[in-house]
Amino acid sequence: MNVEMLLLVALAGVTALSTLGVLLTKDNFYAAMYMTLTLVMVATIYAFFSIEPVFVLIVFVFIGAIGIVTVAIAATYRHGPERQFSAFWAIPIIVTAAVLFYSIYTYVLDVPVYTAFMTLMTHYSLKYSIENFITTEYLLLLLFMTSLAVLLMLSVVNIYRSEN
Amino acid sequence: MPAIDFMTVSIIYITAIVILLVGYLTAVSSKDIVRLLIALELMFGAVFMSLIPLFSVLPDPAFGVALLTIFASGGELLVLSAAIVIHDRRKKSILTSSVSIGGDNV
Repeated sequence: MNVEMLLLVALAGVTALSTLGVLLTKDNFYAAMYMTLTLVMVATIYAFFSIEPVFVLIVFVFIGAIGIVTVAIAATYRHGPERQFSAFWAIPIIVTAAVLFYSIYTYVLDVPVYTAFMTLMTHYSLKYSIENFITTEYLLLLLFMTSLAVLLMLSVVNIYRSEN
Repeated sequence: MPAIDFMTVSIIYITAIVILLVGYLTAVSSKDIVRLLIALELMFGAVFMSLIPLFSVLPDPAFGVALLTIFASGGELLVLSAAIVIHDRRKKSILTSSVSIGGDNV
């Protein structure tokens, strides 16, 4: 088993473990956080295969909008165990993370491991380009989907108003 | 073009199935609507995961399906958010046990 396969197995393993976290935790907020971690890992697997457009879509739209709204709803309707530790623990965590990031960054700049790693990743890429997607038929699909989304939003607003 | 082999596809599909099954289990065992929403998002994550091999043979339709999935997920979030708020107003609770209409008794 080569390095790329090991990396993929590790990513898939972390994804599966974070998914199990959703099932096992009793607090809705933590469940939403585990769900976000799962989606981030799915996006990372897309990045592993160099499919950047879908990576951007998942991170910025699926996680950045939909995932965060879910986390906000879960935090609003939260019940279960409250936080057991002080917020001041965040300070040493941030300092440690900064030192670690700096060490890794300087290590990567000095040693040609980064170049070897990027060569491997380039070999493993699926090379998808979005230019081929922007054609008339796919734009029509986008137009229909946007119209349907607007209709859906109007229906929800209508239901919400009728409730009031 | 792609360096995607049987082993890679197997790992991807096994992970997608694990995510989907955990999503199903979470939905079945959910006691409130928020957990149901989280379970549905997980299922969409499984759909994204299973799309990766499609990018090696049909990249443009795969991207179209990814876009459709994001639109569907956005719509689902919108409807479920409205359902949570309305249910909370009516029943003063978001527990699924307080839903008295529909469903079967086994």
